[in-house]
Amino acid sequence: MSVERKIIHIDCDCFYAAVEMRDRPALRDVPLAVGGAAERRGVIATCNYPARRFGVRSAMSTRTALQRCPRLVLVPPDFQRYREASQAIHAIFLDYTDRIEPLSLDEAYLDVTGLSHCRGSASLMAQEIRSRIAAEVGITASAGIAPNKLLAKIASDWRKPDGQFVITPGEIDAFMCELPVARLWGVGKATAARLADMGAQTCAELQRWPLERLVQRFGKMGASLYRQCRGIDAREVVRERMRKSLSVEQTYAQDLADLEACLAALPVLVDDFAARFARSGAVGEHAEPLVRAKPVVKIKFDDFTQTTVEAAGAPTLSTFAALLRQGWARGARPVRLLGVGVRLDEAGPTQPELWD
Amino acid sequence: MQLLQAERDALLKPLATVTGIVERRHTLPILSNVLIRKAGDALSFTGTDLEIQIESRQSEGFSGDDFAITVSAKKFSDILRAIPDKTVVSLEEADGRLTLKAGKSRFQLQTLPAGDFPTLAVDTNLKATLRMPQGQLKALLGRVQYAMAHQDIRYYLNGLFVVTEGSHLKLVATDGHRLGFASTELSASFDKNEVILPRKTILELYKLLGDVDDEVAIDIAGNQVKFSFGTIVIHSKVVDGKFPDYNRVIPQNNDKLLTIDRTTLLSSLQRAAILSNEKFRGVRLVLTEGLLKILCNNNEQEEAQEEVEVAYQGAPLDIGFNIQYLLDVLTNLSAETLHFSFGDVNSSVLVTIPDNEHFKYIVMPMRI
Repeated sequence: MSVERKIIHIDCDCFYAAVEMRDRPALRDVPLAVGGAAERRGVIATCNYPARRFGVRSAMSTRTALQRCPRLVLVPPDFQRYREASQAIHAIFLDYTDRIEPLSLDEAYLDVTGLSHCRGSASLMAQEIRSRIAAEVGITASAGIAPNKLLAKIASDWRKPDGQFVITPGEIDAFMCELPVARLWGVGKATAARLADMGAQTCAELQRWPLERLVQRFGKMGASLYRQCRGIDAREVVRERMRKSLSVEQTYAQDLADLEACLAALPVLVDDFAARFARSGAVGEHAEPLVRAKPVVKIKFDDFTQTTVEAAGAPTLSTFAALLRQGWARGARPVRLLGVGVRLDEAGPTQPELWD
Repeated sequence: MQLLQAERDALLKPLATVTGIVERRHTLPILSNVLIRKAGDALSFTGTDLEIQIESRQSEGFSGDDFAITVSAKKFSDILRAIPDKTVVSLEEADGRLTLKAGKSRFQLQTLPAGDFPTLAVDTNLKATLRMPQGQLKALLGRVQYAMAHQDIRYYLNGLFVVTEGSHLKLVATDGHRLGFASTELSASFDKNEVILPRKTILELYKLLGDVDDEVAIDIAGNQVKFSFGTIVIHSKVVDGKFPDYNRVIPQNNDKLLTIDRTTLLSSLQRAAILSNEKFRGVRLVLTEGLLKILCNNNEQEEAQEEVEVAYQGAPLDIGFNIQYLLDVLTNLSAETLHFSFGDVNSSVLVTIPDNEHFKYIVMPMRI
């Protein structure tokens, strides 16, 4: 049995909105959201707590958000400033450990097992990190401290905003009993509904199901559920997480009526993607991909059905156009969103083409 | 009304011939059916996927009235297969249902009207008719068909490029990384014709051709090719697209010549392949004077090494390949000895049969 691990999950409180409020204190007490404009069919990326009281949520369409809160102040996202804040936070983490797994700009796991800071107390380290973020970056963060990633992430949500929560190894069983299964990793609406049908709404109820039965019903996910509902999670904190995909997408203010319109919209999107791809570190000095990149096209039709098509080959305009034709034929109706990108795979030997 | 009475095998054989291309699930339900038609004393079975149509016809004096009916190809052949051979089977039709009786078994199947069965409109713009022994065409296809692309976005590579030029028939297949070329002399001379035949047509044709001297006739029309042999007629649409210029990728100046026994190299590669990376399938060939070393390793850092003594006098070379591309050519040829001509580590290798201009195989190396 290995040493009991100590994992901290740090999660900034309504990060984009927090950065905006830090820079424009006048916005502090009004309902504020960062997102795209309603007339361009934008969605809410983040909103502050006053906005949440009106029922505004992230990923909600801006139109709906404005219906719920007509006084909502909407600001467009400024990723440059968010990235800077994120880097400043990352620098603070590095004062404690280099075993950091960033999940996004505002969220990360830290493995602080065996560190001597704060007399080895992970709770005190989390406390210190949070006060430094508040002092040096000017925003608040919440933390969860637990023996694994699953529990740390659940715990960081427990005292949000600007709070922290510890789950010690001895408390796991009691904590899990009351936990709704919907809090587990990989359990969305559909799985939660299936679990509810099985009479498993809390982890305690799910624990009554034997491993074989769960695997029978859910496949691989069943084994994961079996472990998760007992608070078991062996996943390591991975320092360099390999990017699995890179893409850009665009929701159009007006639906693209037909294939021709989609093809006409494609070059702008592909240029945008190419610029991101070039900056991503996935390409070398001479523009050769350092990883295997499989071109992918995503299409969302006006009836909200969506499809993705991918193929081997270089992510060029002509490949994307061929994929778009293929994908569009599946729905053959107006399109509200197009995305182009690549699925990235580990770099291996490369197989050059006969016709280069 | 009784349609037909015959021994099981007299139905199953022609049926199996046409069902290979029938898709089980299709948006058009009738495409999962087989068309059974009797006209005069000829009985025919037809299957189609709208790209390819295969008909198998027998004219062995079937009595009774003419009829045409369509029924699920899968269910019909599953039933026939499950019946002991030599059993006499009778087919009857009533109220749009087909009843199959065999001994004490009885099956009722749904049918769809034969009039709704889509048959390819025959392209009458005939450009050339080639004739050769079936066995010869089968051997020719066998030398190149494995190099066709599969579900490539460059759809024109998912097929076989067929060229007639003078008295030559040339077949070219490529997936963009390797290319197979095979040609043969024809007994007559033709204008230049170029068509791309779909992968599925080629695989089915290869399966159905016999290793016999009986003739196959190939009718090349504008957008269709028809193969007639024995009791079988295959109509196939051609792929609309431009096949890449294969002459451009045949290396001309490769100076490092390796002559090697095919089966020796094949066995060595098959052993080494056990430890090649499952995903990338890389193999390293290290050539020095008189010696070929074959090296494979996988993700688990396991390693295989093979040594073959060879008559090689060229400059040393350390080059990587997708091992499957090499295994493919070695397993699909029967020649005893092969020539490999290498250039540098970044240029393609040319595989040929000594004293034979009719076969070429080109593989791009892999950067390992």
